[in-house]
Amino acid sequence: MDATAQIGRTLAQAALLLVLGPLVTGFIQKLKARLQCRRGASVLQPYRDLAKLLRKDTVQSNSASPFFRAIPVLVLAATLTTTAMLPVLWVPAPAAAPLGDAILLLALLALARFLLAIGALDAGGAFGGMGASREMTVGLLVEPALMMAVFSVAVAGGTTNLGELAARRLTLPALAWQAPDLLALFAVLILAIAETGRIPVDNPDTHLELTMLHEGMLLEHSGRGLACIALATHVKQLVILSLVAALFFPPGLARGLGAGELALACGAFAAKVLLLATFLGVVESSYAKLRLFRVPQFLGIGLVCAFLALALRVL
Amino acid sequence: MTSNLLWLTPLLPLVLGLTMLLVRDRRVLAALDVGGSVAVLGLALAIARRVGETGPVSALGVLRADDVAVVFLLLVGLLAAVVSIATVGWMRDAVARGEMREDRLHYYHALVNGFVATMLVTVLADNLGILWIAMEGTTITSALLVGFHGDKHGLEAAWKYIIVTTIGISFGLFGTVLVYGAAAHAQGGVFEGAMNWSSIVAVATKLDPGIIRIGFIFVVVGYGTKAGLAPVHMWLPDAHSQAPTPVSALLSGALIKCALFGIIRFHTIASGACGPAFSQNLLLVFGLISVVVATPFILVQHDLKRLLGYHSVEHVGIIALGLGFGGVVGTYGALLHVINHGVTKALVFLVAGDAIGRYGTRDMRDMKGFLAIAPLAGTLLLMGAFSLAGTPPFSIFVSELLVIKAGLASGRFASVAVFLVMVVIIFAGLVHHVGQMVFGTAPASADRARESRTQLLGMAALAAVMVLLGLWIPLPLDRLLTHATEIILG
Amino acid sequence: MTAEFATRLIDLLGALLLFTMLVILASGRLFRSIYAVAAQAVFLGIAGAVLGAATGNVDLWIIAGVTIVVKAILLPWLLLRVVRKIQIRREIEPVFPINGTLVVAAGIVVLAFHLTASLGPVRQAITGNALPVGIALILMGVLVMATRRKALVQMVGLFASENGIFFTAMAVSQGMPLIIEIGVILDVVLGALVMGILVLRVRSSVNDADIADLEGLKG
Repeated sequence: MDATAQIGRTLAQAALLLVLGPLVTGFIQKLKARLQCRRGASVLQPYRDLAKLLRKDTVQSNSASPFFRAIPVLVLAATLTTTAMLPVLWVPAPAAAPLGDAILLLALLALARFLLAIGALDAGGAFGGMGASREMTVGLLVEPALMMAVFSVAVAGGTTNLGELAARRLTLPALAWQAPDLLALFAVLILAIAETGRIPVDNPDTHLELTMLHEGMLLEHSGRGLACIALATHVKQLVILSLVAALFFPPGLARGLGAGELALACGAFAAKVLLLATFLGVVESSYAKLRLFRVPQFLGIGLVCAFLALALRVL
Repeated sequence: MTSNLLWLTPLLPLVLGLTMLLVRDRRVLAALDVGGSVAVLGLALAIARRVGETGPVSALGVLRADDVAVVFLLLVGLLAAVVSIATVGWMRDAVARGEMREDRLHYYHALVNGFVATMLVTVLADNLGILWIAMEGTTITSALLVGFHGDKHGLEAAWKYIIVTTIGISFGLFGTVLVYGAAAHAQGGVFEGAMNWSSIVAVATKLDPGIIRIGFIFVVVGYGTKAGLAPVHMWLPDAHSQAPTPVSALLSGALIKCALFGIIRFHTIASGACGPAFSQNLLLVFGLISVVVATPFILVQHDLKRLLGYHSVEHVGIIALGLGFGGVVGTYGALLHVINHGVTKALVFLVAGDAIGRYGTRDMRDMKGFLAIAPLAGTLLLMGAFSLAGTPPFSIFVSELLVIKAGLASGRFASVAVFLVMVVIIFAGLVHHVGQMVFGTAPASADRARESRTQLLGMAALAAVMVLLGLWIPLPLDRLLTHATEIILG
Repeated sequence: MTAEFATRLIDLLGALLLFTMLVILASGRLFRSIYAVAAQAVFLGIAGAVLGAATGNVDLWIIAGVTIVVKAILLPWLLLRVVRKIQIRREIEPVFPINGTLVVAAGIVVLAFHLTASLGPVRQAITGNALPVGIALILMGVLVMATRRKALVQMVGLFASENGIFFTAMAVSQGMPLIIEIGVILDVVLGALVMGILVLRVRSSVNDADIADLEGLKG
């Protein structure tokens, strides 16, 4: 495979996730509304919000440094880059070895989180600082757990490259799951709730100061900057869901570029993401937001599951 | 014929207990209780005689009486009979004092009989699963008895008792499961009889030592909880102090010995599978911890029945030490101690129940001059206390001496030294406590009525056994214990 | 069903049991613990059915059915009934921080797997990971009982512990003899009934106390 084709595929995949990201958010919102017996906004509402934000001017706090303006773009860039490491439609990943593996993916997500928190602190608002500190507290529990869960799968596959990992799992029989896989899946599902900022860890719908984590950090952003960050959030959500799909449900990924195969891969991808999004929506509708000091307890289950998944794999 | 005796023995109190639920009259209940338990003692003696003559008897494929079982069977039978005789007088007083409600007596007697029945199944079980089921059955029946008074403390003790021993016992079940798995494997994948003690012992040397080791640890912790071995004894002082007195006597005299019986069964298996050292060391550690942990609590105790409860922890520890020192002498001593402690402790509990009734308190600081107001019971209390403390010429002295001898023979001098120091401290503490209680002038409020005849009869019977075994071990008993020792040592 | 496939399924069910146990350990709410322990019993029943199908032992099917009826329906129903009757606060107050408990739990699981990994050929007599999972469940059940001061939660811990034993017992080649298994389940039910009676009696006699909270007996 030559380099141009590879870059082309990578860009195509990034564009796909970028375009579909808001749709997934819209779907979850619609699902929640239906579960609450409301009609809810259209699934396209996130696109409309983005369009509106893009048309607006940016207002910035006096205390913010010039760096503050760069934050939204950097966050979006870091998040978008992660798509290059994911096998979304094809295996092996469009950009095979040189572009990076699961470790880089997790590092980029951490970088985006870090930039967001720095930005929130930079603006000097009280809520921003509070949101940042809470977000980092949650991150402290989520990131190592996510790494352990991913490593548990990686140890079984013998590589950290997500594309190769998915390819290897594809060759196994359908029910080749082992106990650590199951534990890692539970861990990742719990952590996905935290990573996508959803109830019971965070509430994406509210701007009530006392309950918010992620939204707190966005308060000082506006206009196009806010649009970038919102888009990054949508993409990150989809990236996390695709990661779960790639690690645990690889069937359906295309090996070549035939039209039929590709159509099948698209269908499988849509089905997997829809399923996981439904999971998030249902969980969000059936639980109440946890008090902040209960959150570590909830994430603790994920952390211990991930640890066990790794430990049982090694033992 | 004899094999029928095996299942008749536990069936009798069970049927009797169910019948009692229909009876309301106190006298009829008492007569049924005494008659039934004396009959059980008779059956136990018949089984003992038969086993002594022709060797082990089994029935239904799950029950089996060998010499080890007979030792415990006789103890349970004897205590059930004596305690039920003493209960007659105690119950009359307790009803008069308002401690027991007359309209609930049939529940009490039915539960006691059910309790005795489950203990009998425990000691007669060959199938280790049946052993476990019966052991859990003793917990269920006796938990209700411990909380029978229904007051706050009684219920607290009952809760602690049932929750701690049930979780403990489930460890025992897990150990049983592991041994079963290992036995099935050793029999070459044949499951028939893989849960029967007699067939497991037959293949003991072929069992996988690794899994038996894990299994034995689970069993010792599990059945050890029920036996009151420290550090898993926390239910014992509470339950012994809150239960109605006859139940305390049965708990301390018979029940914790049944749990030891379970440990002894697995001890034999483990000795066969991984050599005697492993299980002996484990029992030694538990025994030493029990003796050491019990000592300070005995010294500072003011509650008479709690004091006796902690004494049970100490003596169970001594039995475990005897098994741990091992050898013929140690095992023989441990078995003798099972009988001696069971008899003595039941005696002391019965006297203590009488004293508590007279003074209306369990606090020993408020009990003075017991000898003056109840000369016979006072004398028996003194004798029992000296026996518990291990003074000659009483029976416990003999068995403790045997245990020490075994310890010296096995070269575990440090353990023996610790044991001796603790025994001396406990002796001082016990003599202080009981001396305070027996001598002096009694408060005017104390009840000076004569002891009831049935209570005295029960106590005197136990005291006679206690003194007799201190002076002389009858030949049939000696033969029984020797055979049992051989069986335990494999 | 091949033996290899059964082993794999048992391993997965073991992972599910461990996960539900973690949920019980981390749960701050009584209802969630009760539902989790009921779910455990369902998994246990499925495990029994899987083993029954794999070994062709009819007893195991019966045991699986009895397990589901008793441990997944009857006992949780009993617990929920007691909860409703005494109307206690549903929040569980741990005496030990929950995150600390979770760390201990992780240690227990690792220890159990490490311990059994060294065992010899007899592991073959026990299907899959049932032995370490069983050990871990028992010890974690004790952990629940030790770190919570609420009678009903202690009962939940006890049932979870027993689930671990049943899991291992089923997986010991062909399961325990039916009569023993039935006897054990009978004991479990009777024990639960007696515990329920005690909880209710304390509630009515000692104004609104939780039996596990009583601390009158000491020393």
